[in-house]
Amino acid sequence: MRLPKFDYRRPESIQEACAILLEQPSAKVMAGGTDLLVNMKHRVETPSTIVSLKGLPDLDFVRKANGEVRLGALTPLKRVYNDPFVAEKLPALAIAASSVGSYHHQTMGTIGGNLCQQTRCKYFNQSKWWRSSRPICFKAGGEQCHVAKKEHVCYSTYCGDVAPALLVLGAEVILTGGHGIRQVPLEEVFSGEGKTPLKLGSGAILTEIIIPKQAAEGFSTYKKSANRGSIDFPIVGAAVWRSGATGESRIALTAVDRKPVRARQLEDFLKGKQLDEDTIKAVDGLVAKETQLMTSSIDSLSYKRKLMGLLVQGALSEAKGGK
Amino acid sequence: MKQAIALTVNGDTYEVLIAPNQTLLEVLRDKLGLTGTKKGCDLGACGACTVLLDGEAYLSCLMLAVDAVGKEIVTIEGLSQGGELHPLQKSFVELGGLQCGFCTPGIIMTAKAVLEEEPQPTEESVKKKMAGNLCRCTGYKKVVESIMSASGSMGGKQ
Amino acid sequence: MEKQFNVVGQRLPMVDAAAKVNGSAQFTDDLMLPGMLHGKVLRSPLAHAKILNVEVSKAARLPGVKGVVTGAEIPDRQYGIVPKARDEYALAKGKVRYIGDEVAAVCAIDREIAEEALDLIEVDYEELPGVFDPLDALKEGAPIIHEGVANNTSFAIRKEFGDVEGAFAASHLVSEDSFYSQPVNHAPLEPHSAVAQYDPIRGQVVLWSSTQIPFFLRRNLAATLQIPESRVRVIKPKVGGGFGQKIDMFAKDFCAAWFAMKLGKPVKFTYERDEVFIATRQRHPMYLTVKTGMTKDGKILGQQFLSYADGGAYNSTAPTMMALSCFFLMVPYHVPNLLYEGYHVYTNKPVGGAMRGHGIPQARFAVERQLDLMAERLNLDPAEIRWKNSIKAGEPHPGGFVINTCGFAESVKAAAEAIGWKEKRGKLPFGRGVGLGGASFPSGVTNMSHISSGAVVQVGQDAGVNVFTGAADIGQGAETVIAQIVAEVLGVKLDDVRVTAADTGITPLDPGTFGSGVTVRAGNAARIAAESVRKRLFECVADELEANPEDLVAKDGVIFVTGSPEVNITFAKALKAYQYKDLPMPLVGRASWMADTSEPTTLFNQPGNFSPNYSFMTQAAEVEVDTKTGKVKVIKMVTAHDCGRPINPMLVEGQLEGSIAGGMGQALYENVITEKGQVMNPSFLDYGFPTTLEVPEMESIDIETDDPVGPFGAKEAGEGTQLSPAPAIVNAIYDAIGVHFNELPVTPEKILKALEEKKKQSA
Repeated sequence: MRLPKFDYRRPESIQEACAILLEQPSAKVMAGGTDLLVNMKHRVETPSTIVSLKGLPDLDFVRKANGEVRLGALTPLKRVYNDPFVAEKLPALAIAASSVGSYHHQTMGTIGGNLCQQTRCKYFNQSKWWRSSRPICFKAGGEQCHVAKKEHVCYSTYCGDVAPALLVLGAEVILTGGHGIRQVPLEEVFSGEGKTPLKLGSGAILTEIIIPKQAAEGFSTYKKSANRGSIDFPIVGAAVWRSGATGESRIALTAVDRKPVRARQLEDFLKGKQLDEDTIKAVDGLVAKETQLMTSSIDSLSYKRKLMGLLVQGALSEAKGGK
Repeated sequence: MKQAIALTVNGDTYEVLIAPNQTLLEVLRDKLGLTGTKKGCDLGACGACTVLLDGEAYLSCLMLAVDAVGKEIVTIEGLSQGGELHPLQKSFVELGGLQCGFCTPGIIMTAKAVLEEEPQPTEESVKKKMAGNLCRCTGYKKVVESIMSASGSMGGKQ
Repeated sequence: MEKQFNVVGQRLPMVDAAAKVNGSAQFTDDLMLPGMLHGKVLRSPLAHAKILNVEVSKAARLPGVKGVVTGAEIPDRQYGIVPKARDEYALAKGKVRYIGDEVAAVCAIDREIAEEALDLIEVDYEELPGVFDPLDALKEGAPIIHEGVANNTSFAIRKEFGDVEGAFAASHLVSEDSFYSQPVNHAPLEPHSAVAQYDPIRGQVVLWSSTQIPFFLRRNLAATLQIPESRVRVIKPKVGGGFGQKIDMFAKDFCAAWFAMKLGKPVKFTYERDEVFIATRQRHPMYLTVKTGMTKDGKILGQQFLSYADGGAYNSTAPTMMALSCFFLMVPYHVPNLLYEGYHVYTNKPVGGAMRGHGIPQARFAVERQLDLMAERLNLDPAEIRWKNSIKAGEPHPGGFVINTCGFAESVKAAAEAIGWKEKRGKLPFGRGVGLGGASFPSGVTNMSHISSGAVVQVGQDAGVNVFTGAADIGQGAETVIAQIVAEVLGVKLDDVRVTAADTGITPLDPGTFGSGVTVRAGNAARIAAESVRKRLFECVADELEANPEDLVAKDGVIFVTGSPEVNITFAKALKAYQYKDLPMPLVGRASWMADTSEPTTLFNQPGNFSPNYSFMTQAAEVEVDTKTGKVKVIKMVTAHDCGRPINPMLVEGQLEGSIAGGMGQALYENVITEKGQVMNPSFLDYGFPTTLEVPEMESIDIETDDPVGPFGAKEAGEGTQLSPAPAIVNAIYDAIGVHFNELPVTPEKILKALEEKKKQSA
């Protein structure tokens, strides 16, 4: 499947990249390219310009300082999970990064690119000819959402593996833009809109991820259920972090809504509770409540619901074991 | 706009005129005649187009040719030296690690990167890292055996 | 087995293995010809519609576009692989019948322009109501998909052998159960491709195609282009897997040839992956109801079948598929009385075609599942019930099969033992289980017309051996097997033999790769051709060796007298001797081979021996079901297999292993999901066939028989073995969790639902 035509820019600094983005609102940033290029081949993303970040120096790093871990946005996923500190102290991140796509995607794909991936839908991630059987969907530039069967909404699903892990680790991100540099909680970059799932701000690029010291002091894990052991996006993914000191729990899910979801009500429910069998059992009925599942994939909602409970319970059981 | 770029493939430098929307896979096959690298899905989901970029396994269908400038590219045609098959290639031949052969170049290039990274891998690790290379003929058994055997015969050396 | 061989029976690498590992093996899409144009096909976005108008002028005017063709312009000649079932045009005329149906084609100086041109073609459709399930398509008042085909039933078969009612009356238990087998895509790694070039000197259009059937393709192409067959030459480059999907002619073949003839330039068409999923072929989805009568101790007395195959929009191999489905119910078990009723029904969906097993896997799934159901009802051991009912060599067969060799009963026992049946069946902890399935498959289809193969073996002055065969190697190793046969006969090394294959311009006639006939049919032709060379060579050197030609043996490049290896002459010197005796060179042996058919008829009309011989196998699975997630892990799969004498055990094993992965995909993972005829998962990502991480440990057990008809005793290998993995796995799931699944695939979701259901019932 051929790529559509576009202008190619390869800036040598972030500032230059941001300037291009400000100048050309329909330009897109490309890191590893494993998500964007597939969408472009399908003609669901047709940027006028690709701003390739492959020429940018200094955004490929895993640094530890003052207990914080700082990850350059262009760090390949493989480097992230092979980092000994990440592997040992931040297992949720290591597991999530190593469960993305296949070995090739982990080699080519970057952590920043993985966070900023497009939302997915069975009516959207298809070739242009395939999509011509129905009116163009809202996300691809039309009116109708074929999932919701309504106009001007989009129920595509965020399916990234890494985001829920970083959410429970309390990660913040640095957004570098034409208007300066901002550090915001990761959660804030997800709009919850299917059509435009990211809100980085105009001309801004996610350049760095910061994981606070506290993250490494707790238990964490990421559980993924997919059709096969490799290549596939999650049917559901769930990350759990639990503080060794306070017993505070953080839970996040992916592939269940238009954005990765922090399950705050569930976290509140767990507040101050021992992770005994009854508590963990009770989680099952609560976990799906904070998500808005839609049939945007070929998997059924009831199965997704079951998996959510199962994965979170499994993770909490491990947390209880204090692994 | 087309632009002239220089690609280093199998140790040789090629100057080619390309448009930015051409993938490395297209340029290797259509412009350089290196058709050993295969197009199985063109969407990064089968591994048939795997080549080495600075020693790492890359899906050439999801790589802009222009982004490969300055990298050492190795394709299946560049693996054997002086007419001798590479130990990995030999192993696949002798142990029947292939049938139709369409996925084979991608499989061997991925295996090369895997053994580069992990010269004495466990079978489990090989299976995990090779899972992105689909094969519809072999059922993978002899594929994994070929890689394990090559890793043994290479004595952990590349 | 007393016989000793030197090349046959050896684990030798494929003759083209080195080319395949160094990137030099050329597949169709690898061919680049000077001045080559690139084509693209415009496909229907609608499942069922009249084509009112196709406006191509804008596309034709796009700079770089060299040709546009629509269905209206091509000759009014339908094609199909089975002559009586031709119902397809290379480009649709007047009507489209599924999403993906071909409407027009363009060719241009590059692919980008060809794609742009497709966007400029305007098609006016009048949408018609579609029908997407064969049971709906059968109903009165359902939309008619092909004019004149009542109830959308394009093929019906009803066969009765013996007296089924009588058998049921005599039975201790009569059970009726229903089953469903899903659509499966072959998903070969190589997408379908064609390159055509006009050869003005010979007045021929030359087509390089990723095909399994060069000679049938030549016939279909000539017929649809309305030119004599002699004006078409089909060449098969390396083919990247077929599994039956590359048995038909496709629009890419026709259009490449059409444009090459019109424009005098080479033209290439290569399909995208989603085109392969949507617009080539798939395994027929099938609804089956099976009624079986058994004695108290599990002997099958009679069976009755009712099956509805969802054919999709066209026939492809429909009649053959239905006939195979019917006749192969009478192996590997002795079924003395059978009534089969089957319907092939059109729907507005992707087209069903031949796929590894071809109509039999669906029926086999139903039978093998029901055997386990009935074993339980009768409180019998499923393994015992299988070997007890095993058909035996020489036994009269209700369908007229002649079974000379049969290792089925042994295969049941061997597979059961290797999986640990006695210790494990019913005895493993909840969530773990073992299961079995048996099967049999033909080595080629005998009683159809034109099923014969030729071979030419030519020995040159340097004693190099050239074999010309029409056999189509699609990755299974046909060329290697044929080379081994010739090398064995002539007593030379495999490396001394060169194979030239599958080029209708220079190699002898061959039907191609389908029905698992290549080794027996093309192998026998090659064997006889080589024997004719050997005979003349022996006659020539007999004097010098002071022996009778009949007493000579050829081995390792040396011809010697039986019992006196010191009295010998090398193969090369023998050739020199042949020359110096002024015998005509080159030394050529020719043969044409076809199986004995007492009824020179087609299988649709009357029973008869279906195939020269039959393979038999049992597959045993051990599974582990994660009762929380519903995921099934196949831990181990054993195949005990009678393929006669394996010509190359390494290649046979490879076939078995591949078919396990395929059968396991069908059991657990694969399904072509459609919504109103539109394929929802036309990608490797969403279709999700197994990777290295899913496949089980595999063990192959060879039950060797020495078949009198096959070359060196060989029978079919590799197609039959995809029949029973799915039922074996599903039977093992029952042993693991006590739930019977009669619909494929058995997904984690279905397992969880069933477990919940089970919990409710027991509560």
